[in-house]
Amino acid sequence: MKFWINFLKGFRLTAKTARMVLLLFIINLTFALVLAVPMYYSLKDSFGNSLVGERMAKGFDTLWWHEYRDQSEGIEKTFTPFIIGKGAILNNLEMLVQMKFFELPPIILVFGLVYILFHTFLAGGILSTFNKDPPRFALRSFSEGAGRYFFRFILVVLVSWLFFFGLLGSLNQWFNSIVNKVAENAFSEITPFYLSLLFNIFIFVFLLLFRMIFDYSRITIVADGERNILRAIANAFEFVIKNPGSTLSLFYTVFAVNVVVTLIYILIKSLIPQTNAWGVLFAFIFQQMFIFAVVWIRCWLYASQLELYKFIPKEI
Amino acid sequence: MVALAIFTYGVLLAESDETLCDQVANYTMDIRLDTERHLITGSEMLTWTNTSEKPTEELWFHLYWNAFQNNMSTFIRERAFDGRPEPQFSKDDWGYCRVSSINMVIGESEEEFDLTPFIEFRQPDDGNVLDQTVFAVELPEALEPGQTITLKIEFQAKVPRPISRTGVYKNNYFIAQWFPKIGVLQDGIWNCHQYHAHSEYFADYGTYDVKITLPSSYTVGATGELREKKTNQDGTSTHRFVQHSVHDFAWTASPHFLVYRENFSFAPGLTIDITLLLQPYHKRLKDRYMNAVKHAIKYASLLFGNYPYTTVTCVDPAYNSHSGGMEYPTLFTGGATFLDRMGSGDPESVIIHEFGHGYFYGLIGSNEFEHAWMDEGMTSFLDTEIYYTAYGEPYMTKRYFGIPVLFKTARIPIELDEYHGISEYRQTSDMDDMQRFSWKFINGASYTSNVYFKSELMMRTLKRYLGTDVFSDMIKDYSEKWWFNHPLPKDFYDIVKAHAGQDMSWLLDQLIHGSENLDYAITSIQNKQKRKSRGWFDGIYREDEQDQSEHRIYESEVLVRRLGGVRIPVDVLVVFQDGKTIRERWNGQYRWKKYAYSGPVKIKQAVVDPDFKLVLDIDRTNNSWTLNPDRLSPWKWTSTWLLWLQHAMECLGFFGS
Repeated sequence: MKFWINFLKGFRLTAKTARMVLLLFIINLTFALVLAVPMYYSLKDSFGNSLVGERMAKGFDTLWWHEYRDQSEGIEKTFTPFIIGKGAILNNLEMLVQMKFFELPPIILVFGLVYILFHTFLAGGILSTFNKDPPRFALRSFSEGAGRYFFRFILVVLVSWLFFFGLLGSLNQWFNSIVNKVAENAFSEITPFYLSLLFNIFIFVFLLLFRMIFDYSRITIVADGERNILRAIANAFEFVIKNPGSTLSLFYTVFAVNVVVTLIYILIKSLIPQTNAWGVLFAFIFQQMFIFAVVWIRCWLYASQLELYKFIPKEI
Repeated sequence: MVALAIFTYGVLLAESDETLCDQVANYTMDIRLDTERHLITGSEMLTWTNTSEKPTEELWFHLYWNAFQNNMSTFIRERAFDGRPEPQFSKDDWGYCRVSSINMVIGESEEEFDLTPFIEFRQPDDGNVLDQTVFAVELPEALEPGQTITLKIEFQAKVPRPISRTGVYKNNYFIAQWFPKIGVLQDGIWNCHQYHAHSEYFADYGTYDVKITLPSSYTVGATGELREKKTNQDGTSTHRFVQHSVHDFAWTASPHFLVYRENFSFAPGLTIDITLLLQPYHKRLKDRYMNAVKHAIKYASLLFGNYPYTTVTCVDPAYNSHSGGMEYPTLFTGGATFLDRMGSGDPESVIIHEFGHGYFYGLIGSNEFEHAWMDEGMTSFLDTEIYYTAYGEPYMTKRYFGIPVLFKTARIPIELDEYHGISEYRQTSDMDDMQRFSWKFINGASYTSNVYFKSELMMRTLKRYLGTDVFSDMIKDYSEKWWFNHPLPKDFYDIVKAHAGQDMSWLLDQLIHGSENLDYAITSIQNKQKRKSRGWFDGIYREDEQDQSEHRIYESEVLVRRLGGVRIPVDVLVVFQDGKTIRERWNGQYRWKKYAYSGPVKIKQAVVDPDFKLVLDIDRTNNSWTLNPDRLSPWKWTSTWLLWLQHAMECLGFFGS
């Protein structure tokens, strides 16, 4: 039950550094708000003085949306009824697994890249904060940690992209071509459907697995002070291979928590009527609580993995 | 008593071979399907009567399958220019229909005169000499009006790999437009067009008596009633189908079909035999298929007249057969995937649509080459009316990992027109007139947009403009009056005029023969406190005090504009702050109209076309103007979008650390 102990430890550690989670959440929100402002004005302009605004306050005016879509450009193209409720999550999950983010408008893609860079920068701060004894969040030490590991983490990210986009991306394309070929000669749509689903699950599992290995690479850099990136990745790989039960259980348990939180969010969000200002405000707060929870889980994963890494004695 | 009489008539009609119209082109066929070589061989005995008022010295025929015999046919060429890939067919994948012999049977002696040497391919539409989808034969002597000729035609048809809703895929045969088929003689001129990428069909009515021989393991579905099934000693079976008063014959054969039959009573005294040929992997959709067929029959009979045939066969097309969503007399194909969810519109919508073609393509016999909107548009209107009556508004649906997910907060209103029709129309509305020969549209998108969407939107606009009662009577009258009569656009004009009580060509011309947009808008509302009088009035200088009391007078103005080219009278609803409303009627002719009011309250909002009669209006958002627009909506929807973006960024962060 090594994973369970460290899973709980990770939670406690995250709770102790809640201010750090708050900082990460604020960064996410700030990034998103930069694009939300033009989206707000775009919608406001489109509603204009029309009664469409009233209809959109009560529900979703599909006729209006088609007009809006037909004239939309850039980020406006991402405003669809499919971002409502579960759609937002499913869209992103599919985008992640099928690596469809290249279909996003360039401005969002650029923002995403900058966000990835920022994420990489912050990861050093997160891990160094958790690695302190006792763990305590202070902006200065957080920034120092972020800066100290940034260059090495960037290299890890670049190597990870070889696996994510080079390996899994190519695999994804290959799988698609297999599905298409099977579909061309299939008796029914059922075979290509399940084959495609199977391939998607395969890709997703490996995405998570690679992600876990690269998490441990970063952990070895912070916990062991490893300076050689390739050695860090090799150590992480070795660690996961030697402790598959603990590492995988821990990773997938935290992932399961993420799924549960997401399901709860989808369920409750669908019950919030957004027909007046209070409803909209409440929905907004609830949404932010969800994103806060997602960020929390990200930190929780790091904390648990770091604790597990330190918990398991290393061979000398 | 009346019901009993109708019932008796129906039973008699069903059991006898009493026809519903003049039988102009009658085919008796005996064909054999070689499932090894995918080859149909056989003969047809065609009895054809010259119903034109002029004699003819030649006969013209369609050989539709020759569109698939090489990549130089007009069909394939037009598809390529429309951006569709050329079919990657190997030698055995191409299809064709070859006439081995054509003989004129003379009189009762049944002597034969060989017309084969006189076969000549014709290209009336584009002069493409490599296109062999139409041929003509010269007759030894002219056939006078009212005279009948009998021809014996031997032919061989190679079933292509699935293309354009016909072909064979894994022992699933869908056989349509497959035999030498005579054109339509109108005023002494042959209406017999080549096969085009964007056109369907046109033919005369008649009786089809077709014997199909193929391996016994195959289930066969076809136009008409199965009159006889005989098992042969060579492991084959012969199925004989007969149907009078139709203008085509299609059939399907597969060893895999699940067969379901039901007798359905759809109106007092009227029943129909429904056959559902379902793919085994769509078994769970059986009830949904069957219910959709029943809804289609029931409501179409109410709206467009009682369905007069005694059978209908609904075929769930085989995967990859490219035969889905197509209509033939008393037989049509649906289209489904095994995960289709109730409320998404699939597969119910396509089932209703294809059955609906049974009226405008089948019973009315619109010329799909020349006036495709009279079939597709009216059928689209029919299917939407029936779908929404039977099932209500469908939901927006998106597939994630192939699994359909319904978005119940986003319903699809009927005005959206076939899920997205108004959107398609908006993007191509000024490219073509709706009335064009099918192959003369600028591209496939414009063809679809005009023929399907604009014409459906026109029908719905007409319904709301004339009123439901007038329109319903009109469309039912149109349907029943023109059964078996091949109406032209002017016939539609006439029936609209008769029911509207006025000549409606001022509107129909703009919509059918024009390509202007329809767009009315409220572009401003102004409320100004009545100005005090200042200056010389009748030689007396006056300077009134501004009225500061609660009983101020406001001068208000609403500006309505016609932004599109289509002109149509339109209502304007003006709402004042005290709740009072004024409804104005603008003739919609000039580019704009101002309505001015003076009174103690301001105008709160105005709506042009408040009853949403003008479904063709390409911009509905600008139809209303309010002084107090809802300020919450942009916040609400930005917030919804923000969540998606924040989550997307976290997902992208997955590739960071």
